[in-house]
Amino acid sequence: MNTGLFHPASVDEALELLARMPDAKIISGGASLVAMINARLADPAALVSLARIGELKGVSEEPGGGLRVGAMMRHRDAAAEKRFAGTLMVIQKAASVIASETVRNMGTIGGAVSHADPGLDYPPALVAAEASIEIAAPGVRRRVPAEAFFVDWYATALGPGEMVSAVHLPAARPGVGLYHKFARVSGDYATVSVALTMVRDAKAIATRVAIGGCGPRPLLVEEANRLLSGNPSAEDLRRAGELLQAAADPIDDVRGSAEYRLMLIPRMLARAFEEARASVGAMK
Amino acid sequence: MSNTLHVKIKVNDSSVALDVPLSETLLTTLRDRLQLTGAKRGCNQGVCGACTVTIDGVPVRACLSLTACCEGQSVLTIEGAGADRVIAALQDAFIEEGALQCGFCTPGQLIAARALLERNAEPSVEEVQQSMSGNLCRCTGYRKIIDAVRKAAQRLQS
Repeated sequence: MNTGLFHPASVDEALELLARMPDAKIISGGASLVAMINARLADPAALVSLARIGELKGVSEEPGGGLRVGAMMRHRDAAAEKRFAGTLMVIQKAASVIASETVRNMGTIGGAVSHADPGLDYPPALVAAEASIEIAAPGVRRRVPAEAFFVDWYATALGPGEMVSAVHLPAARPGVGLYHKFARVSGDYATVSVALTMVRDAKAIATRVAIGGCGPRPLLVEEANRLLSGNPSAEDLRRAGELLQAAADPIDDVRGSAEYRLMLIPRMLARAFEEARASVGAMK
Repeated sequence: MSNTLHVKIKVNDSSVALDVPLSETLLTTLRDRLQLTGAKRGCNQGVCGACTVTIDGVPVRACLSLTACCEGQSVLTIEGAGADRVIAALQDAFIEEGALQCGFCTPGQLIAARALLERNAEPSVEEVQQSMSGNLCRCTGYRKIIDAVRKAAQRLQS
């Protein structure tokens, strides 16, 4: 009997069901999967619901100060989570602009990262936050850095029969995290988004930027981060924008042409960078 | 085995038992099986907000909710909200302010506005805009909806 709706009580039970029914789909909040069913892009005969798995809920603190965010954390709760402070504010900011309030009551972080639509808000924010994704497979859990987890359009490091069980965030560091989303209207997918974390030390800053909406996966260029760290000049900022532009691979779609998106990258980067720098400057 | 699932849910305080296909959305169940046509099918993609209902008190998209996943849960639609004092105040204010024309989006607007007012008794213009940005209206240009929500809020305060 490989049809129906299943309600496992644990991750192990969910994995057993997935092993037994390779065509089954996981449903958490339903915000992406049910939209795909309605659009006739998916027609699963069996669904494995994560609604009753306690270990997928809530945020717990880990040794070393990091946070383990359960895969079922809803966007609404992430947008209000006080522990996402300092550099981790990037997660809170991204969660608060996902779709609309009603959809944020439904969607989950695990669902969003598994869906891996490059227009989503979480992927660049998680890359900027140096998050890692916890993947559960039968008998084993492994962690994959966010920048390696997102592989291609709607493709992730998840293998068959595996699932996202949590997102791990490093300890919040003093500084800021921000998420700038350029969209046609409130609630739309990003045309281009900039996720940026800036750590403030005694004298210098350390910046990490990921760009969303500009290719199959969040865009991260280590050389750009290096240019934007230390004590960057206006020339460094300009050069970082060029590097990100050169590495981007946007498409033309209803949200904007590829050319338009490329034009947005350096402008949005500069705006986000200056805002972050003013904000860490004011923190002294 | 049959391809339907037996589900028991509460809709507007009445218990209902249904046999539904796995992929049937709550919106289809409400409209086509229970003849509760207040929640509207606009985009069927979770964008327009016309199908907004509450499940266990939380506003959600009926079009993105599978009925089978609602087992044991309590659904409130605009048909069941008539006696609610917040909804009543909103309805009066919507009429007075002319916050609807065709009315297609109104049930969703009212359910969304009710959730806002339960959390925030005195929302600013910006707070109404942010909270209700997921409820599209093609008639009013939104200003009258915002005015109506704030008018209802004021009245409920006094």
